Amino acid sequence: MKYAVSEARRCVLCGFCEPVCPTLYPGGHRGHGPRGRVQLILLLEGSSSRLVEEALYTCLLCGACTQVCPAKIDVAGAVREARAFLRSKLSS
Amino acid sequence: MRAAERLKDVLGADKVITDPLIVNLYSREPSGLSSRAGAVVFPESSKDVSKIVSFAYKHNIKVFPQGSTTSLSGSSLPAEEGIVISFERMNRILSVSVVDSTVDVEAGVRLGDLNVELARYGYMFPIDPGSVAVATVGGAINGGSGGLRGARYGTMTNWVLGLKVVLPDESGTELRVGCRTTKCRQGYDLVRLIVGSEGTLALVTEATLKITPMPEAVVTALAFFPELEDLYAAYKEIKESRVQPLILEFMDEETARLAKEASAAPVEVEGHMLLAAVDCNREALDRVEAWLSELMRRHNAKRVYTAVKPEESEKLFTLRRSLFPAQVFFGNKRYPGKRLMVILEDIAVPPSRLLEAIKKIREVSEKHGLQVSIGGHVGDGNLHPSVAFPLDDEVMKSKAVAWHEEVAKIAVELGGTVSAEHGIGTLKKGLLEAELEKLGSRKALELMRGIKRVFDPKGILNPGKVV
Ligand SMILES: Cc1cc2nc3c(=O)[nH]c(=O)nc-3n(C[C@H](O)[C@H](O)[C@H](O)COP(=O)(O)OP(=O)(O)OC[C@H]3O[C@@H](n4cnc5c(N)ncnc54)[C@H](O)[C@@H]3O)c2cc1C
Ligand code: SF4
Ligand code: SF4
Repeated sequence: MKYAVSEARRCVLCGFCEPVCPTLYPGGHRGHGPRGRVQLILLLEGSSSRLVEEALYTCLLCGACTQVCPAKIDVAGAVREARAFLRSKLSS
Repeated sequence: MRAAERLKDVLGADKVITDPLIVNLYSREPSGLSSRAGAVVFPESSKDVSKIVSFAYKHNIKVFPQGSTTSLSGSSLPAEEGIVISFERMNRILSVSVVDSTVDVEAGVRLGDLNVELARYGYMFPIDPGSVAVATVGGAINGGSGGLRGARYGTMTNWVLGLKVVLPDESGTELRVGCRTTKCRQGYDLVRLIVGSEGTLALVTEATLKITPMPEAVVTALAFFPELEDLYAAYKEIKESRVQPLILEFMDEETARLAKEASAAPVEVEGHMLLAAVDCNREALDRVEAWLSELMRRHNAKRVYTAVKPEESEKLFTLRRSLFPAQVFFGNKRYPGKRLMVILEDIAVPPSRLLEAIKKIREVSEKHGLQVSIGGHVGDGNLHPSVAFPLDDEVMKSKAVAWHEEVAKIAVELGGTVSAEHGIGTLKKGLLEAELEKLGSRKALELMRGIKRVFDPKGILNPGKVV
């Protein structure tokens, strides 16, 4: 999770990424958008939940958010690593 | 939260979230401030909002309205025991009338999305906070937001005709106030009382907004001045030239350099930045471009960039749009791995006092040994000096707080105000009191508290903010 956390830590919470994210509105809450996903990643090592997993697994990894993010945060890359972390937790 | 579980019966389970990890996403602001709440609810109509408020009133639960939570003053943060009302699912544009120059929208519509729709008609909603892509109508109304085009178009105060609101009373009364016409004398102006009230008086569910045609053509000029005095002389000449620029933006040299490093904007920074945008007829483009360019150079600008095509102009805005991210980016670089707090001032002074204000802010920053960024919407005298520091560094924090108060004092002494467009929230309550004290108007605070009690007798709506 080193890469995911270091990316997520750079987030300034500006939300500029949300309007371009295709999963935000269908998802029904902020966890289904990039701003939410990076914040959830920061909490993941402590705890998780069904809604958190849903939020991370519905990301399309399309990278649209990174295009408009002023900090150029690699949300898709961070989500990929977070999924791997969740899988390793499940199998251990 | 047991009450939130009961709210699921009232509203439907899919409109209430109590998972603390998801609720946490609604408990943080870009300023670095954070808090907690018990639940988030997602109304889909005014009726839903009315049900939530009526429930909250009966059970003495505090409610905290939110749009996109991009407030920088603590105004959209919940408190431990409360419920966040997120307007994100109320995001419909209801109707557009070019003849009436109005648009009807739900509170959760983002200003950026609204402008995409209005562009189809050749129109726009002119209030453009730096956060325009994400800020919602409800948040901008309640924040009394302004933006880059403030010198020309003012703030939300000037662009809201009518509101549909829900009052925090026993039945969650739904109410329409204001008109669909520009001229409207409906007794006391309740619309403008609610605009800028930071979610403390009523919940806005729908709004009738004024719209305006997009400018036919715009000239953008970006210039860098080694001397502040020269920049101010150029600014003053533009202001005195019988044109009303759309935009006049400023960044001091250090800040412009940070923004350049953070954004890789395609310009060379050689001094303090002045960015001007002036609208005109298509036929006048060349004349206006030449005028701006000559004016900047005559006042000793080292570099001048101009653009008339929208895509070229946008490039000249990159630096200015990177102001906030740059401030955080460099905070992170200076204090790696630390959680940061960003104190972003929002003062305004009469434009004739701008040069004094900037110089005094630089002096105060130096006195406290703080690395401060200074930028702002100088067209209307609005400055956003800011400082970032690690949340757990008590020494830095006390320096930053002292600096914050001194900068506010400078604004008031120069005939200005402590908050131009970001609002009071929790961060500027003390400054508001100091400003009114200085004006000999402490009584105004009593009036405000009285108004709050009339609207919200139980104090359940966004308590602890503004007054
Ligand atoms: C990078 C950046 C740049 C910014 N630039 C500017 C700028 O140039 N000018 C400016 O004015 N601001 C600026 N801001 C501050 C902020 O983005 C704006 O004030 C914006 O309009 C807030 O919109 P929001 O939807 O995020 O509101 P929120 O932060 O969610 O809410 C703002 C206030 O309105 C209340 N509220 C929200 N919705 C409702 C509702 N439906 N009914 C009742 N109350 C409600 C909240 O309780 C809160 O008090 C900036 C912020 C950032 C992060
Ligand atoms: S990468 Fe994921 S979070 Fe980013 S825009 Fe695409 S779907 Fe949304
Ligand atoms: S745009 Fe980037 S910095 Fe801003 S909230 Fe999204 S991920 Fe965070």
